[in-house]
Amino acid sequence: MKTKSPIGDTYKYGFHKPENYIFKSEKGLDEAVVKSISAHKSEPDWMLQRRIMAYTIFGKKKMPMWGADLSTIDFNDIYYYIKPTQSMSSRWEDLPSEIRDTYDKIGIPEAEKKFLSGVSAQYESEVVYKSIQSTLSKKGVIFLDMDSALREYPEIVRQYFGTIIPSGDNKFSALNTSVWSGGSFVYVPKGVHVDLPLQAYFRINAANMGQFERTLIIAEEGSYVHYVEGCTAPIYTTDSLHSAVVEIIVKKGARVRYTTIQNWSNNVYNLVTKRARVEEEGTMEWVDGNLGSKITMKYPSVYLMGRKARGEVLSIAYAGAHQHQDAGGKAVHYASETSSQIISKSVSKSGGRTSYRGLIEVFPGAKNCKSKVVCDALILDDRSRSDTYPTMKINESQTQIEHEATVSKIGDEQLFYLQSRGVTKTQAESMIVNGFIEPIVKELPLEYAVEMNRLIQLQMEGSVG
Amino acid sequence: MKPYSTLSIQNLYASVAGKEILHGIDMSLRAGEVHAVMGPNGSGKSTLASVLLGHPAYEVPKTKKGKKVVVLLDSKNMLSLPTEERANKGLFLAFQSPIAIPGVTIMNLLRAAYEARYETMEKKKTESVQNPVLARRFQVGGMPIGEFTDIVKSQAKILRISDDMLRRGINDGFSGGEKKKIEMLQALVLPHKFAIFDEIDTGLDVDALKTVSRGIALLQKKGIGVLIITHYQRILRYVKPDVVHILVNGKIVDSGDATLARKIESKGYDKYLV
Repeated sequence: MKTKSPIGDTYKYGFHKPENYIFKSEKGLDEAVVKSISAHKSEPDWMLQRRIMAYTIFGKKKMPMWGADLSTIDFNDIYYYIKPTQSMSSRWEDLPSEIRDTYDKIGIPEAEKKFLSGVSAQYESEVVYKSIQSTLSKKGVIFLDMDSALREYPEIVRQYFGTIIPSGDNKFSALNTSVWSGGSFVYVPKGVHVDLPLQAYFRINAANMGQFERTLIIAEEGSYVHYVEGCTAPIYTTDSLHSAVVEIIVKKGARVRYTTIQNWSNNVYNLVTKRARVEEEGTMEWVDGNLGSKITMKYPSVYLMGRKARGEVLSIAYAGAHQHQDAGGKAVHYASETSSQIISKSVSKSGGRTSYRGLIEVFPGAKNCKSKVVCDALILDDRSRSDTYPTMKINESQTQIEHEATVSKIGDEQLFYLQSRGVTKTQAESMIVNGFIEPIVKELPLEYAVEMNRLIQLQMEGSVG
Repeated sequence: MKPYSTLSIQNLYASVAGKEILHGIDMSLRAGEVHAVMGPNGSGKSTLASVLLGHPAYEVPKTKKGKKVVVLLDSKNMLSLPTEERANKGLFLAFQSPIAIPGVTIMNLLRAAYEARYETMEKKKTESVQNPVLARRFQVGGMPIGEFTDIVKSQAKILRISDDMLRRGINDGFSGGEKKKIEMLQALVLPHKFAIFDEIDTGLDVDALKTVSRGIALLQKKGIGVLIITHYQRILRYVKPDVVHILVNGKIVDSGDATLARKIESKGYDKYLV
């Protein structure tokens, strides 16, 4: 990893944060590293204790063997805490040429390119963030990075942190709890509707996308918020492991939508635990797009705890050469009259592999629950692969469950038809793929939808990754 | 568009899976003319339509019996071009049974196809707005998207196609009649020089048949050459062809004016089948 003066590039944009000095822990993980992370952030003791306990659990937990192949992850070859300005390539020229080419093809302006590639923080977005902040604070909404939230609102963080995803949930949630840094904290007071989507993009520290982000969203009774993270342009990082934890609490009658577009570079293991607890008449919607990374394992979950709670997971996955997208969703029905829907669309090409992995569970006594699962796979050539691993644990007879799965290929007659209208075979393929994912893409904010379509086209042309 | 484009099919042979279907077709068609190719089942009518646009299942030799095999559109040999380039040079095919493409809306297809033709025929790209993402979104073939949408809707109205249908996936769950109308809509919206209609009249009720015939008349008025491929003469009651060709066993066995179609109506193809 190249080390550069943090002033050089950021200064060019007239943006400089002097307190943002460099700190880097040693490669590998032990208790001392965990302690130094906490000490470096001057965290309260309870958080330090959480981290240490999580570290112990991490050591004891076995690697998950039921999904994608994680055998090449070397936990000793990873930096667990790097002051963000350094975690990414610090010069535009240092980025791999394919990433630079992609930015050029998508047509991203120079300043934005640098922001996306982690080369520099974007001054404009700080301005936007500040204006959003003032609007939000009038409504009592808190939108901060997690480190700041722990400093400014320690009691709220303490009340909810780790209550939805305990560190012992799985090996990677334990790892995240012990070394987390960054991520978002959102608190929406009772009855407040946040009209504009909250974009991590505008939260200035999001320029420093971390490896072990920790996000916590609390939506009080009757409130509404849409949180958006990630972007469609590929995020280049020299870190090989991204392992985030996202916890969401949806209180009575509240609604939360969480949209993610992930396009990490193809060297990244993306292993994320996302879960929402939904109380009576609340609604949780996950919209999850996975385009990049080497391996992704991600199954956004809804735990429907109160009567008439609703949960929805919309998932798109694209796997190209050397990629395995193991994605899906989980819905756990604890209460009566709860409903869930999981819709998954996956596309595999050039030897890529997609898997749908899902769970529908209905607990005894949870009566009149409804669940619908639709998983559609589109396979573009004979070298690519798609599998479905649905699990159903239904312990209540009065339950209505639907499950549909389709696997399709692009037919020669379809291509001939489109070509006879004047579009090339490549364009024809991307039209079909874009049409296939359209039902989910239309749920994305407009600018993401446009970029998504463009990106699929680039993937079809074989000019990306 | 040049007023006197010609489409000249010379010595056309074609086979599928090693079996020869077309045994040397010769015919020539000028802009603004309507030709009908009539023939019984299995005579090679649909093969002719598919081969003109370069369907990958058919093999077409470069020469046969010492003569070149060519399909010339204004002296350019279409047979050496991939399908999309034939389309963009000016050939349009309305399919007999167009395939469903779920998720790709008719509007999307029209936009992409119009753009491709514009780039080829006008030899320029849509003027680039600084951000290409926006450019793609807001411009079609050099005009704002709203203008293009209006053109499509006005043509759809002539064919009694609802706006709602334009937002549906191509042929996804369409009735036979709806499919044919959508083929005709594309013929009206997308610029081209010669349109080939493969069995456009099958599965249409009288009203739809009249609507489709009106479309053909409009194309003719625009100076487009029309080739109607049909088993029955039904559509020829509404569209008067300049020339009728009889295709039997992969060969043109007779050509004449519109009266030839009427003879077929009363006497059938028996005369040619002996």
